[in-house]
Amino acid sequence: MSTQGDGASPGEHRPPAARVFLVPAIITVFSFAVIWAALQLEISPPMIVGDSMQPRAFPMFLMLINLGLTGFLAFQYVKSPPKSKQRIGIPAWGSLGLFVIFYGVTVYVDMMIAIAVVMFAMCLLWGERRVHVAGAVALATPITIFFLFDLVLRVRFPRGLLTNWYYG
Amino acid sequence: MIEALQAMGSVMLDPYLIFLILATTVLGVIIGVLPGLGATTGAALLLPFTLTMEPVHAIAVLATIYVSATFAGSITAILINTPGTSAAAATTFDGYPLAQRGEAGRALGIAVVSSTIGGVFSVIVLCIAAPMLARVAYEFRPPEYFALTLFGLSMLATISAGGTIRNLMGGVFGVWLATIGAEPTTGIERFMFGNYELYEGLAFVPVFIGLFAMSELLVQSRRVNEVVDAIGLKAVKLPSREDYKRIWKTVLRSCGIGTFIGVLPAEGATVASMIGYAEAKRWSKHKEEFGKGSIEGIAGAEAANNAATGGAMVPTMVLGIPGSGTTAVILVGLMVHGLRPGPYLFTEQVDKVYQIFGAMLLANLMFMVMGLYAAKLFARISLVPLQILWPIVFALAVIGAYALSSSLLDVWIVLIFGVVGFLARRHGFAVAPIAVGLILGEMVETNFQNSLKMFDGEWWLILTQPLAAMFLVFAFMGLFGPAILSKISKKST
Repeated sequence: MSTQGDGASPGEHRPPAARVFLVPAIITVFSFAVIWAALQLEISPPMIVGDSMQPRAFPMFLMLINLGLTGFLAFQYVKSPPKSKQRIGIPAWGSLGLFVIFYGVTVYVDMMIAIAVVMFAMCLLWGERRVHVAGAVALATPITIFFLFDLVLRVRFPRGLLTNWYYG
Repeated sequence: MIEALQAMGSVMLDPYLIFLILATTVLGVIIGVLPGLGATTGAALLLPFTLTMEPVHAIAVLATIYVSATFAGSITAILINTPGTSAAAATTFDGYPLAQRGEAGRALGIAVVSSTIGGVFSVIVLCIAAPMLARVAYEFRPPEYFALTLFGLSMLATISAGGTIRNLMGGVFGVWLATIGAEPTTGIERFMFGNYELYEGLAFVPVFIGLFAMSELLVQSRRVNEVVDAIGLKAVKLPSREDYKRIWKTVLRSCGIGTFIGVLPAEGATVASMIGYAEAKRWSKHKEEFGKGSIEGIAGAEAANNAATGGAMVPTMVLGIPGSGTTAVILVGLMVHGLRPGPYLFTEQVDKVYQIFGAMLLANLMFMVMGLYAAKLFARISLVPLQILWPIVFALAVIGAYALSSSLLDVWIVLIFGVVGFLARRHGFAVAPIAVGLILGEMVETNFQNSLKMFDGEWWLILTQPLAAMFLVFAFMGLFGPAILSKISKKST
């Protein structure tokens, strides 16, 4: 197997060991969690014809492979630690935060309002200085898409403040 | 054969289909020139819009996006040194230096002509190879399908981004995602945690939109302050006779390489263009020009990446194994529209298959016209501000995911897999292996279960089936071949 990775060249900044092994550690915990969850699955009765495997066997087998590969990955990191990652910037953190806001507004208010709010905030967060442009994009896009899906594709959107009013 | 030609020709008699292909070619070129929005993301975003279309029209739209966006990546690669799609990365090596020398029109002309030849060549190969492979695939039983899907998964080890181990881990994760829901033979619920909307498993489309579009949105947020240095373009120039003399061998070679690489499961246009470029350099009499604006370099990469598009459709349609990330989306499109991929597609719905091939051929010719006459305009579109483009992508992604089955769960899946994809990419994992793993997951498990039933639980009897054994050997070679070869070459030196 090739060992293509993103190893740091000599002189480049290398992150501390705890951060380097964070990814293999998370994958290991995830794999064990899946194995544990698989062990809680029901056991199927024996087949009438032919012999097969239990529903839990396949996911457990996959996670064992994953653990083996994680071992290889950790070994690669020992041989050649990865480069320090660029910090996640404000636009990315902000966008992640907007996903959460989108969830809240969709569930408690209205999906179309949620899309408009997120689009408007995202435009500004990513550096759009013209508020009227951000507003126009945030209004025009959901309205256009809504009518396209509602009138042409006959998709009904989830009930909310605006859709209740529109659908009656 | 005559029936096939008639079916392909019938595309020309369907004005609505011609209009759709024309409109989608324009859209595909726009998607291709917008950095970050590649063919895969474009096809995933567009899939929900095809829901009410006829199956042939819908797949033609997705296939057109595939071929036109793959080509269009070269426009920005040449003019702003930023490949619109990953498949055009190799085009930047020589395309941009040639454009810097004031020959942007010539560079684009070479790219357009090479891409068209590559695309048309691969559709012709697709028309000939697909039915032949389908005839062989009729004989496949569960052991052969199991071994074949394993071979497909092993090929993830060699795709361009990520690296062997991380790609395989992504593939395994994707296969595990496919185990969520009711187990296919016993119906026992797995990893649903009481959510009955997951009974039939994770829907492919929201996962794809999350992995490709939403994660790209988060990745692109880092580029908001980047300034691009665009090179002016007067007009695209068709290659001169001297140019043709220099590139024809390279184009033919890259057509073969691209189609072959495309046919291999999970490989795609990106790998094809890199190999096409490397081979162009290896066989060139002007190696010193590579990296400084060699027309052979542009032709080698461009012919190969578009030749891979037709090649990648072969395993997708004949075996149900995606030949690339974008064909994984097309495969889902086939399923959504009731066209079950596999050898029986070539007996039960052969006319539809050839209409799709005909549409691909037409799309290749249309993007040539657009590349020659409208590249200047499309290059301007690539400068659309990210702060306007990506919020629109966000809206399309969430509404598109919702529209497929009118389920809010699909919207949450898009957001979750957007974050998963972003974190994966941040740590060097490519997202395409997860998508391919998800598609192949059920095939692997079901065919392994059925093989076990055939052999009464004695799994090693799979190895006694010649075709299955051959695919397993291929899978082993896919995984360990490169390491063994490099060890041998090190010893010999």
